[in-house]
Amino acid sequence: MTQRIQIGAVFIIIHLSFGYVVYPNLIYMLTKTAHWEVIICQGLLQLILIWIYMKGLNYFPAQNVTDIFLKMGRWAAIIFLTPFAINLIALASLNIRIHTEVIISIFLPRTPYWAILILLFFISVYTALKGLGTILRSAIFIFLFVIPLVVLNIFSSVINFNIHNVTPGLNFPPKFLLDIKFFYLLGFSSFIFLGFITSKTKLIFRQLLAVWVIVTVLFLAIVYIPLFIFGQDTVVTLKNPFLEAMDSIDISWFSFNRQAIFFGVLLVGLVILTNSVLFWLIGTIMQKIYRWNSSNWIIAFSFIALLIALVVPNKSLLEKYFLWSSGAQALFMIIIPLALFIYGFWSNGGVRGHEKQ
Amino acid sequence: MRNKIVKELETTFSNQGDFFIEEELVDKTTIFLMGFKTLVDLPKSKLYIQQIEDSSRSAKALFMNLSNRINVNTEQLIEGILEGNLVIVSLDGKQNAVVNPFIQNLRSSVSEPKNESPIQSSTDAFGDDINTNVGMIRKRLTTTSLCHCSYQVGELEKRKLSMLYIEGRTPNALIEKVEQQLKGIKNDIETIDELNLQFGKRRFSPVSHLFATELPISAIHALKRNKIVLFLDNCPFALVFPNLLWDMLFSINDRNFPFILSFMLRFFRVIGLVATLILPALYVALVSVNPEVFKLDLALFVAKSREGIPLTAFLETIAMVVLVDLILEAIVRLPKSVGPAITMVGGIILGQAMVEAKLVSNLLVIVITAVVIASSSVIGMQNSLYIRLLKYPILILASLFGILGVCTGFIFTIIYLASLTSDDIPYMTFRIKKEGEIK
Repeated sequence: MTQRIQIGAVFIIIHLSFGYVVYPNLIYMLTKTAHWEVIICQGLLQLILIWIYMKGLNYFPAQNVTDIFLKMGRWAAIIFLTPFAINLIALASLNIRIHTEVIISIFLPRTPYWAILILLFFISVYTALKGLGTILRSAIFIFLFVIPLVVLNIFSSVINFNIHNVTPGLNFPPKFLLDIKFFYLLGFSSFIFLGFITSKTKLIFRQLLAVWVIVTVLFLAIVYIPLFIFGQDTVVTLKNPFLEAMDSIDISWFSFNRQAIFFGVLLVGLVILTNSVLFWLIGTIMQKIYRWNSSNWIIAFSFIALLIALVVPNKSLLEKYFLWSSGAQALFMIIIPLALFIYGFWSNGGVRGHEKQ
Repeated sequence: MRNKIVKELETTFSNQGDFFIEEELVDKTTIFLMGFKTLVDLPKSKLYIQQIEDSSRSAKALFMNLSNRINVNTEQLIEGILEGNLVIVSLDGKQNAVVNPFIQNLRSSVSEPKNESPIQSSTDAFGDDINTNVGMIRKRLTTTSLCHCSYQVGELEKRKLSMLYIEGRTPNALIEKVEQQLKGIKNDIETIDELNLQFGKRRFSPVSHLFATELPISAIHALKRNKIVLFLDNCPFALVFPNLLWDMLFSINDRNFPFILSFMLRFFRVIGLVATLILPALYVALVSVNPEVFKLDLALFVAKSREGIPLTAFLETIAMVVLVDLILEAIVRLPKSVGPAITMVGGIILGQAMVEAKLVSNLLVIVITAVVIASSSVIGMQNSLYIRLLKYPILILASLFGILGVCTGFIFTIIYLASLTSDDIPYMTFRIKKEGEIK
C-alpha cells in the first residue's frame, strides 16, 4: 500500500514538473477559447493509453517493460528501448535546462546558469544512483513539501481573477485535435515509468484513476490561473505565463514581496525528483539490455545530458528542442503500450497471465 | 600442601593483587577457596559455606549442595573466577565447584534516567548490569514470546551481549541477519559506535543504526513495534535496532497525554527539526543573497539591524553557530558546579556584548537562540547532535545560492536520509512489517 502511495506521488510530481513550464504555452497556441477541452481531451487520451499499458503489463505478472521486451527478443528490446533511453537523455537535459532558466529568473538573475545546472544535476544523479527505493521514499517527503506550495499558489492567485477573461467557455468543433501540437502535448503526460517499477508492486487501475483526476485538476489550474489573470490575448505574448501570473499577485498581509519565490522553490523540488526518475529509467533500461553496471550508465549518460544542457544557446531553441523531444516521447507513449498489449494478447492467446496459472 | 589445580590457578593469577586463596577446614579435610577479593564478599561467603556444611554429611555432599557446576576443568575454573565467582577445590584436587558467592555490591541500584526526563511516566531507567536490564524488560513484558539470545563477543574480553525480540512479530529475516552480524563480531566492542559499525558501512554517516534509550517503556514499545532490542553489558542503554527517523519525533511517553496534545508535541518536534536545519541558512540567504523577497518595510528593518556590521552574513552566522555549538559542548564537559558559569558568561557575551560591539546583528542572535532551542526539542541526544551537524552543509549552500541553496540543501538532506537503510529496512519507513504480513 505504501509503495502505491509513493508511486502516486512520483506520478503527480513528474506531471507537475513537465506541466509548469512549457505546457501552458502550448495550450494557448492550440486554441483561443475553451482551453479545458484540450486538457480533458489530452487527459482522456492519456487515460486510454494507461489502460492499454496496464492491460499489456498484466499479461506478464511481476515483470517490467524491459523484461517483457527481452522476452520478445533482444533485437526487440534494442529497437524499441534504446531510442527511448536516448530520447530520455534529451528530455532530461532539456527539462532541467528549462527549469534552470525559470529558477534563475526568479532567484538569481546574475548567476551563470551552469552553476545552477551543475547543482541540480549533481543532486538528481545522486538520487538516481541510490536507486528506486530512495526515489520513492524521498518522493513522499518532496510531495508533502511541494503540494502545500502548489495549493498556496492556486489560492493566493484567486484575488486577481477576472471571470470575463475566459469566456466563451465552449468551442465546437474541436479543431485542435488535428493540430500536430496536440500530439506534442501528449508527450507531457509521462506514465511510461509506471511499467518499469511494476515488478515489485502490482498497480491497480482504479488507484491510478484517482491520481489521474488529481493531475488533470492541477493541469487545469496551471493553465487557467494565467488565463483568469491576464486573458488569452496577453497570455500568448508572455514567455512564462505562470511565473508572470505569480508575480502579479500581491497579498498585503504577507511578509513576502513576491509570490513567485514559492513557485521557484516548488520547481526545484519537482525538477530534482523528475530528473532522478529519468536517469534511473535510463540506468535500468541500459543495464538490462547491454549488461553493464547501471550506475556507470547513469553517470555516463547524465554527463552527456549535462553537456547537451550546457550547449543549448538560447531559450527559443531550447523550447523547440524540448517540443521535438516530447513529440518523440509521445510516439513512444503510443508505441510501447500498444506493442506490449499486442504481444501479450498474442503470446497468451487472450488469457491473462495470472488466470492461466 | 597445595595440589596441581590450585598451583595452576595461583600461577595464572600471580599478577593479580586481589586474588586470594584461603584454606578452610571442612569435615576434617581442607578445602581451598579462591576468587577475587574485589568481586567476592569473603566473610559472608565463608559463613554461607559453613551453614551448608552443617547440613551436609560429607565433603562430597557439600560440593553438590553448594553448586551444580562441579568437577569442571581448569579453564572453566579460571573463567568462573574471572566472572566473579568463588571457586572451591578439595585438598586432593579431585573435586571442585564454582559457587555463586555473595558479591561485592559494585552496581548502583535502579535509578532515574540521566539523559532523558520523561513527564508523567515511569521514571525507572536501565542500569549497568545486563541481567538487571533484561529483567526489567521481562518484568514489564510478561509473555512467552519474548525471546532472549545472549552472546559473548570480543577478542580481549568476552563482553556479554543480549538480543531481545518478540517471536512472531519481528520479521525472521531481520532476526537472522542481525544474529549473523552479531556472531561475526571479531574485534572488541567498547563503544556503541563499534557495535553500530557491525551492522554495515556507515562510518561517515552521522545517523546510527542503533537508537539508544534509557527508558524501559520505550524499549518495550520498540519490541512491540517489531524491532530488536540489544543490551551490552555495562552499558546503561537499550540499543534499539533499527533506528528510524520517527524515533526522533515520536516517543511512547507522548501518548500518556490525550491524542490532540501528543499530536501537538510531535508537531512541535517536527518544527524544531526543520527549523534547526534551515533557519541559519535562511537567515544568510535572505540577508545576503535574496533580500528582495521581503516586503519593503521588512527588508529595511533587516538592513537596519545589520547596519555597521563589518562581517559578511555568512561569516557572522557561521561564527555564531560554531560558538553556540562550542558552548553546548563545554557545558557537557564541565562539572555541574562550574556549568552555570559558562552558561552565564556565554549568555552575556553572545547576547549582549557581541551585539553592542556591532559584531553580529540583533536578528542573528534571535535566530541562533531559536535554533539552539529547536535542536533540543527532538528525542535523544545523538539525534540532536546529528541534526546540528546537518545544518552546516545547508548553510554553505545557502551562502552560495541563496534561497535556491536552502531548498536544494533541504531536499538533498531528505534524499540522503531516504537513502539510508539498515539491513534493508529504510531509515524513513513508518513502521516495520510484522512477520508474515504482506503489504
